[in-house]
Amino acid sequence: MDKLTEVLTRKFGYDSFREGQKEIIEHVIAGQDVVAILPTGMGKSLLYQLPGYLMEGSVVIVSPLLSLMQDQVEQLKMLGEKRVVAINSFLSFEQKEMAFRNLSSYKFIFTSPEMLQNERFNHALSDIRIAYIVADEAHCISQWGFDFRPDYLRIAKWLQHYRQTNVLALTATATTNVVHDIKDTLLMREPYEYIHSLDRPTIAYEAIEVKNAQEKLAWILGRITSTSGPGILYTQSRKKTEMYAHELQKRGIRVAYYHAKMDQDDRILVQQQFQQGQLEWICATNAFGMGIHKDNIRQIIHDHIPTSIASYMQEVGRAARDGAQSIASLLFTATDVEQAFYVAMQDFPEEADIRLAYESNNIQLQLPETTARILDYWKEELTEQETTRLFQTIKQKKWTEIQGLYTMLQNGVCIREQLLHYFDEQLTNRPKHCCSKCSLPLQEILVDRKQLSEKSEEIDWKIKLDELLHS
Amino acid sequence: MYFQQLLLLIIHKFQGERSSTAPYYLLKGKKSGQTIQDVTYFQLHPYFSLYPKLAKETYEEEIMKLHAEGFIIMNESMIAITEKGLHQIVSVRRPFYNGWILRGNEFIFWGRVELIVQTLSQFQGNEKKFVPVQKNNEIHHFVKAFLHERDFQSKTFVANFKKQLFHLLENTQLLEIHRNLFVYRLSGYKNSGLTWEQLASHHHITVLDVKFLFIECLHILLNEITEEKYPDFHALTKDIYVQTPLTDSANKTSKLFEKGYTIEEVARMRFLKRNTIEDHVIEIVSVNPNFPVGSFISDEQIQQVLQIAQERQTKKLKIIREEIPDLSYFQIRLALTKGEEING
Ligand SMILES: [Zn+2]
Repeated sequence: MDKLTEVLTRKFGYDSFREGQKEIIEHVIAGQDVVAILPTGMGKSLLYQLPGYLMEGSVVIVSPLLSLMQDQVEQLKMLGEKRVVAINSFLSFEQKEMAFRNLSSYKFIFTSPEMLQNERFNHALSDIRIAYIVADEAHCISQWGFDFRPDYLRIAKWLQHYRQTNVLALTATATTNVVHDIKDTLLMREPYEYIHSLDRPTIAYEAIEVKNAQEKLAWILGRITSTSGPGILYTQSRKKTEMYAHELQKRGIRVAYYHAKMDQDDRILVQQQFQQGQLEWICATNAFGMGIHKDNIRQIIHDHIPTSIASYMQEVGRAARDGAQSIASLLFTATDVEQAFYVAMQDFPEEADIRLAYESNNIQLQLPETTARILDYWKEELTEQETTRLFQTIKQKKWTEIQGLYTMLQNGVCIREQLLHYFDEQLTNRPKHCCSKCSLPLQEILVDRKQLSEKSEEIDWKIKLDELLHS
Repeated sequence: MYFQQLLLLIIHKFQGERSSTAPYYLLKGKKSGQTIQDVTYFQLHPYFSLYPKLAKETYEEEIMKLHAEGFIIMNESMIAITEKGLHQIVSVRRPFYNGWILRGNEFIFWGRVELIVQTLSQFQGNEKKFVPVQKNNEIHHFVKAFLHERDFQSKTFVANFKKQLFHLLENTQLLEIHRNLFVYRLSGYKNSGLTWEQLASHHHITVLDVKFLFIECLHILLNEITEEKYPDFHALTKDIYVQTPLTDSANKTSKLFEKGYTIEEVARMRFLKRNTIEDHVIEIVSVNPNFPVGSFISDEQIQQVLQIAQERQTKKLKIIREEIPDLSYFQIRLALTKGEEING
């Protein structure tokens, strides 16, 4: 057995690598810059973790999404790795100081883009040996990416101190434009590029145009009560997650809603209930999904047109991790285009906001947090006119993208082909169950839902205590 | 209804002498002179800081409901219970809370129990790697140390721990609903706890009622735990009781008084207004009855104020001051605070 496979078995418990993994890891170890694009659920974390065990020094992982960072740390700890730390704004001053002092004792150092500006942190980093740097969720670097984080752009200045250290950029979705931005911002020199096909052959696509919200509701209730999950129903507002969950509960479905405004404790419980199979369905906003470890999700339903193709792919990609046949259904009405555009533009700076940002130094109080953060960044980099022009361009592009998505759902062309085309990829092998434009024998894909025996769930603390701890 | 009854009880205790925001600040645990002083005046210690996360809108919604039912009357300057409201609370069980010394720290205790039960349950299920429901790092460290000091993988430890928990929950002060909420919120091997919402719908009560019942349950349990009867659980109560219930700022002021400085001097040294320091004095006196007040007010003056308050059946400063204009509002507040200690 070669060295890589040996570590794979010993540390991660797998017998063999998946397609592409080994090449990427070899290039990282060889000290080369790497850009890797793999669909969600294709073993992305292994790529930045494994080389660490074969190299001296610590791995620094820059991760723009805080909720994801927490999950990554937990996953590593589950693998028995204790030398992990997450350095972010959630830590108290004392906790940070403590982490800085012991920085070299950690093999994996997770951090947020914001922290890269912290002087004490940088000082501590300069004293330790860094094996390589990982830019996770690298599409957030690009303003063309669906989850743009301006703070992430600051990584460019920071990386200038580490010209000798190689960088591994990871993302699940990136168009040609985005890849270009990633390479540019991360100062990459002739990187090794690995682009996995974004096609997920076991996910069938289904687009259904309906007349109005009532028809949507009726369709959704019909589908979920008659066919089997587990599944996620994505919707756009907190209120709607609650409404759907309520309607489904009334019909005997084990379901819960999930959105960002819930208590953190409750969100964790809902996630666990879903993972453990106590729930069949989750009605959620796009806040749900990050860090969900469930292989057997069979259905994803959207009751709206998503704000971007990349985010749609990511949400849909949560199905069929186990490789079994699954289906992604999208319901839309003609007016959903405007709604999608409206949602996409919610935190988007208007011309007046931009003017305000350039005239005043204290915009935090007057503008939504995200808007203020974006403008704070651009104010340092561009003139007012340039910023205005930049956002006009982005807005225009966003409109074109959403409009394109609508056309994609409406026209007669294969959905799978069109989605791949957006990422400059061509479909090579059409799966048997492709999409509602090709052929979609639903009875072969969907499984009838077994009505649960209506055992009234009696509440008795003594029984539950015995289940938790048997004597 | 449970939360509404609790609100009515608190409004009743304020005796119609405070505005409608007073119960809100009390439940939030606002650390202002006024709120702290009211705690002593009106004997509201159990309810202080019961729910620091209470949203203003939620509170106002509940108040509007009580108003609509005719259980309370209110205007800009005061809120009071009506006779109809009084009927709602006279015959119901008095809730048991210990807010003054717990101040939300009961959730540290809860977090420790939650993580221990999940850990023991996972180990019994032979799934030693798991994602903890509890995310707080300090609780992780505490529980790790707690388990390592004990032979936690042994059958006797688990059996013993469970037995203690069982006995604790059989406490007759608890209602059956308390026990159910506590146990069904716990998670373990292939067995997740329920969300507040799920607990509420199982019991056909509101989420707010669930949360306050849950807090009451924790307060009752904590009150019951002694080292002899529940050695393991007693260890889990470490550092959760507030030692000096003084705010940091009042504590600093108190230290300066100990060194003999006057109100003016303390105010100047700390760059604070005289008013603020006076608030601190009230806070210090509420907490520490032995704090000498002779330099602020004489014993005769205290008696005078208390007598007027008694005769006029009021704690309203304005009314009292009309009778003894020589005293400042601060002196009257101080006298009333001392008076509560004598009576209570
Ligand atoms: Zn197709």
